[in-house]
Amino acid sequence: MRELTYAEALREGLRQAMTTDPNVFVIGEDIGVYGGAFGVTAGLLSEFGEQRVIDTPISEAGIAGACIGAALTGMRPVGEIQFMDFVTLTMEQIVLQAAKVRFMFGGKASVPMVLRMPGGSGTGAAAQHSESLENWFVHVPGLKVVMPSSPYDAKGLLLAAIDDNNPVIFVEHKLLYKTKGHVPEEAYRLPLSQTNIVREGKHLTVVATSIMVNRALAAADELAKEGIELEIIDPRTLKPLDDAPIIESVKKTGRALIVHEAVEMGGFGGEIVARIAGGEAFDYLEAPVRRLAALDIPIPYNRELEHHTVPQTESIIVEARKLVQGAY
Amino acid sequence: MPIEIILPKFGFTLETADIVQWLKHEGDTVRSGDAICEVTTDKVNMEVEAPETGTLWKFLYPQGATVPVTEVIAVMLRLNEAPPIDGDALLQTRYGQNAPAIAVMPVADTLETNGAKDKTAITPLARRVAQAANLSVENLTGTGTNQRITRRDVEAALSPSALTSTGKPRATPAARAFAHQSDVELTRIPGTGVRGRIQRADVETYVAAQPTPLVEATKPPPEIDGQADQTVIKMTGMRLTIATRLQKSFQDAPHIFFDAQIDTAAINTIRSKAKARKEKLSITSILVKAAAWTLLKHPFVNATLHGDEIMQWKTANIGVAVALQEGLIVPVIHHVETLGLGSIQTRLDDVVNRAQNNSLRMHDLSDGTFTISNLGMYGVDRFTAIINPPQVAILAVGRTQRVFVPDDNDQPVIKSLMQITLSADHRVVDGAQAALFLNDLRAALEDPTQLLF
Amino acid sequence: MANERLMPEMIQRYHDIIETVGPEFLKESLQTMHTIRAFEERAEQLFSLGRVHGTMHLSIGQEATAVGASSAMEDGDYLLNHHRGHGHCLAWGSDASRMMAEFMGKETGYCRGRGGSMHIADVESNNLGANGIVAGGVPLSVGVGLSIKMRKTDQVCLVIFGDGAANEGAFHEALNMASIWDLPIIFLCENNQYAMSMPMPKAFNVEKISTRATAYNIPGITVDGNDVLAVYEAVKTAADRARRGEGPSLVESVTYRYKGHSKSDKQAYRTREEVQDWQDNRDPIMRLSDLLVTAGITTQAEADSMRDTALKIIDDAVEFSENSASPDLASIAEGVYA
Repeated sequence: MRELTYAEALREGLRQAMTTDPNVFVIGEDIGVYGGAFGVTAGLLSEFGEQRVIDTPISEAGIAGACIGAALTGMRPVGEIQFMDFVTLTMEQIVLQAAKVRFMFGGKASVPMVLRMPGGSGTGAAAQHSESLENWFVHVPGLKVVMPSSPYDAKGLLLAAIDDNNPVIFVEHKLLYKTKGHVPEEAYRLPLSQTNIVREGKHLTVVATSIMVNRALAAADELAKEGIELEIIDPRTLKPLDDAPIIESVKKTGRALIVHEAVEMGGFGGEIVARIAGGEAFDYLEAPVRRLAALDIPIPYNRELEHHTVPQTESIIVEARKLVQGAY
Repeated sequence: MPIEIILPKFGFTLETADIVQWLKHEGDTVRSGDAICEVTTDKVNMEVEAPETGTLWKFLYPQGATVPVTEVIAVMLRLNEAPPIDGDALLQTRYGQNAPAIAVMPVADTLETNGAKDKTAITPLARRVAQAANLSVENLTGTGTNQRITRRDVEAALSPSALTSTGKPRATPAARAFAHQSDVELTRIPGTGVRGRIQRADVETYVAAQPTPLVEATKPPPEIDGQADQTVIKMTGMRLTIATRLQKSFQDAPHIFFDAQIDTAAINTIRSKAKARKEKLSITSILVKAAAWTLLKHPFVNATLHGDEIMQWKTANIGVAVALQEGLIVPVIHHVETLGLGSIQTRLDDVVNRAQNNSLRMHDLSDGTFTISNLGMYGVDRFTAIINPPQVAILAVGRTQRVFVPDDNDQPVIKSLMQITLSADHRVVDGAQAALFLNDLRAALEDPTQLLF
Repeated sequence: MANERLMPEMIQRYHDIIETVGPEFLKESLQTMHTIRAFEERAEQLFSLGRVHGTMHLSIGQEATAVGASSAMEDGDYLLNHHRGHGHCLAWGSDASRMMAEFMGKETGYCRGRGGSMHIADVESNNLGANGIVAGGVPLSVGVGLSIKMRKTDQVCLVIFGDGAANEGAFHEALNMASIWDLPIIFLCENNQYAMSMPMPKAFNVEKISTRATAYNIPGITVDGNDVLAVYEAVKTAADRARRGEGPSLVESVTYRYKGHSKSDKQAYRTREEVQDWQDNRDPIMRLSDLLVTAGITTQAEADSMRDTALKIIDDAVEFSENSASPDLASIAEGVYA
C-alpha cells in the first residue's frame, strides 16, 4: 500500500493540479524557497518557478486580496495563510469581498480560490498560533469550509476544492501533517459536501472533524473491547453540510456525541445538535445529544494544560461510555 | 396583587380534573362565589367559584385541559385593581409550565383529627402522601406558598424521576414515539433510565409483557356473514374509574365476609304504617338508619383507612350504591344519626334522582364512612360486595325470602328473612368486631325501637 | 467664463493632446461629464423622493477625474472603483438605464438588484465593481495584476480609491506587493480632500498623497483633478508605463465633492463658502466647456445642448427602471455559490 504523510498528500495534490491547469498557482509567506512553514509546498518552486509559486511579504490582507483579484480574472489561486490564527488579518477581504462579490454582482463573477491554513493545538505554540476558527467561516454565506482528517482525504478534498468555483477555506491540522495513510497516486477527487462514514457502529453516533476523527477512531477501538460500538462520521465539508448521513445514523443509534477541537461555545457542534434535535432524528433520541470540545479559554502554553483544554482520546472514551451506559 | 383561583381538591382521592368549560370570560366582573369554571372529576361535574369579588384577569388552562388539583387555574384582580406592569412576565414565571403547585387546604379538612400544627409547613395532603410512603418530610424543600411542602414536592422526593416538574412522565423522545405508536400510557411504565427516565427499551418491555392488547380501538371487529361477533368499547370515564378503584380495593384490602339473615317482620311493620300515612319508606332507608346507629357503636367499622392511619368518624355518612347505565355510583347521606327516617328517605330519593340525572355534586360523593348495596330487588339471594375505599366495610343486601324456620318449640314457622353480607377490611376490622357489628345491626333491624334510644 | 485669462495658456499646454485625441474625443468627454452630472443630480432627487432606498454617495464635482481616467484606458483593461463610483462606471461605458435600475433594486439592474449603489459592477466590460469597503478594492488589484502577468496580456488594472483609503493598512500592503512584482496597475487616488468629515491635512502628515509612492519606489504624481486633460495625461502615462511592463504608478487627482459624503451628511466640517468657491470657479464641466469653446472645437450652443442630451438619457434611464420588475422572491438565494 502506498503511504504518504498528510503534508506529502497535499503537496502531491498541488503538484498535480498545477501540472494539469496552468491557471493554478500558489501564493503565501515562505512557501517558495522555504517550502512552507510546515513543508507542504517544498519542491514546488523548483518545479514550477517563481511565477506560479509566489512568496509574499508579510501581508495577509494582500495575500487574500491577491487571491480574490486573480480568481476574479481567470486564475485559480491557492493561497496559504501560515497559521490559521493569521487569517484574522484577512477577514475583511475574505468575508466582505471573496464571499460576497458573486452575490452582490447578481450572480455574475465568481471567485474560484482556495485558502489553505493549518489550525489546531498540541505543539505548544500557545494562544496566538493554535486557533481553530473554522466556525467563523461556516457562519459566512458564500464560503465553503473543508477540514480533511487524513492524508487520503487531504489530497482528494484539495483537488476538489481547487476545482470548485467558489472560495474554499481549507483547514488543515498541524498535528496531522506528519501522520501517514494510504494515498492513491492518481489525481482523485473526494466531492465536497459529501459526509463520510468512517466507521460503522450501532451504539453511538460520533460526529467528529479534523484530528478528532483520528482520536475518535482510537477511542472506538478501545470501546469495542467493552462491546461498545461507535459509529464515526466525518462531515469533511462543514459548509455546505451534508447532514443526511448524520441524521440517519442518529435514527439508528439513538445517541449522538459531537467532537471538535474548537471552543465548545459557538462551535460547530451546536449546529449539529440543532439539526439532530430540530428534525426527524428527534423522535429517535434515547439520550441528550452531547458535545465534546475545547474549554472556553485561549490555548495555554503549558503542555499538560494544553492537553486538557481540547478533547483527547481518553476524554472521548469516557464521554462515549457514559452516553452509551445511560449516564445522561 | 392578583388573586389565585385554585382547582380545589374536591375529594380526598381526587388527583386531577378536566376543564369542561369556562363559564365566564377574561375581563368579566364576578362576585365572590360566582361559578367561573365547570370541571369534571371521576364521576361528577363540579364548579369552581370565584373566591372574591373582582375582575377575572387570566385563565391559565384551556377548555379540555386536565389539571392536577391544587393548581392555580386562573388569576383575578380585586375591583379597580389594575394588572401588574410586568403582568405577562409574572404569569409566565409564576404560572408557566414549571410553576410549583400552590398549596391549599382541601375542602374536607375540617374533619381532620390531628389538630396539632406541624413545625414544617406542609399541606395535609402532602403529609398523607408522605406518611403513606414512609417518607420523612423534615428535609424536604417546599415549593408551595410560603415554602409549604406540597404533594408534588413529596412525590418529587419519592421518585424524582417519575414526573418532571410539569407533572409529565420523564421519557426520551424515542420512548415517547414508541409509546404513542403502541398506544400505551407512559404513566404506567416504570423507567430504568437516569432519574427514572423511561427509555424506549422500557416501553418495549412493557408492551411485550401485556397479555392482550389494551384496546383494539383501531382494529375493526372481524365480520362473519356481515355480522360482527364482538363490539369493542373502550373503558373511559366512569367505567375506567370504577374498574381501577375496585381492582385496587380488592387487591389492597383483605376482605372477610360475614353473613346474616334478618327477620324483616319489624321492618315490614314500620313500612306498612308509613304507607298508611301515605309516606314513602323504603327498606334501604331503614337499613341506612339502622346501619348508622350500629356504626356509632362500633368505631372500628365506622372508619376510613389512609395509609397506616385509621380515621374513626364520629358521624355516620352512609353511601348507598346506585346502579346507572354506565356503571355504579355511591352517593352519600351525611350525618345519618341526626336524621329521621323521613329525612333519610327524602335525601335518598334526591340523591338517587340526581345520580340518574348526572347532577350529583362532589359533596354527594364525599366522606362516606360505610356503604350499603341493596340488590335484593334483582332477585339475588346473596352476594359479597367489594369495599369502597377508603371505607373499611360494606353491606351487601340480598333478597328477602319466605322460609320455614323452627321456632322455640321446634315448630316450623314462616318468616321473611333478608340476606345480608358484610365485607370488612381485615386490616382494620377483626373477625370478632365484624361479628359483633353484624349482630348489633341485626338487632337494630329486627327491633328498631332500639333506634329511638 | 471663469478662467478666461488662463485659457490661452491651457490651450497651448494641451495642444499636443488635443491634436492626438481629436475633437470628437473631447466632445464625447464633455458629453459624458454632463451625463454623469445629470445622473447624479437625478439620483439625488429620486433619493429625496424616496424612490431609491439605502444611501447614496454622489460624485458631483468630480466628473473630470472619472472621465479623464477612463478615457485613458483601453478596451479590455480592468476597473476597480469605490462607493462614490457612479461617475467611474458611466465613464467606463456602463449603461445609465441599467445603473438606474440597480439603484431601484430592479432585476434589470447590473447586479439584479442585489448590489445597489455601492456595488455596481459590469463584469462583461471588466468593471470588477465598486467596493463598499474603503480600500477594499486595492488588494484585489494586486490579484488582477498578477493574473494579467501570468496570462501575459497587455491589460492594465485601474484601481480608483479616495484619500481616506490611502491610510488603510491594505493600501500599503497592496502598493508594496505591486511594486515588488512590477504589476500593471494604476493606483488612482481620487482626493476630494475629505474622508467623510476628516479633512486631508488632518489625516496626513504629507501634503500630497502621491509622495507615498516614494515609499514603494514607484512613480507618483499629483494633478488637478478638475482638469480632465490633466487627468487624462497622467493616467495615460501610467497606463503606457504599465503596458510596457514597467510596473505600477500612483496618480493623485485632486478634486472636490459638492455634496456631502452621503445623503445623511450635514457637512458641519466645511463652510458653504468653500463649496461655493469650487462650484463657481473650478467646476470641471465649465472648465472643459470653456476650453473647447475657446479652442473653437465646439460652439457654446452645442456645448450647452449637451446638458439637454444628458437629461434625456437620464429620463430614459428612469423610465426604464420604473418599468422594470423587482426580483422574484423565489430567487432570493440565487447567486451565492457558483
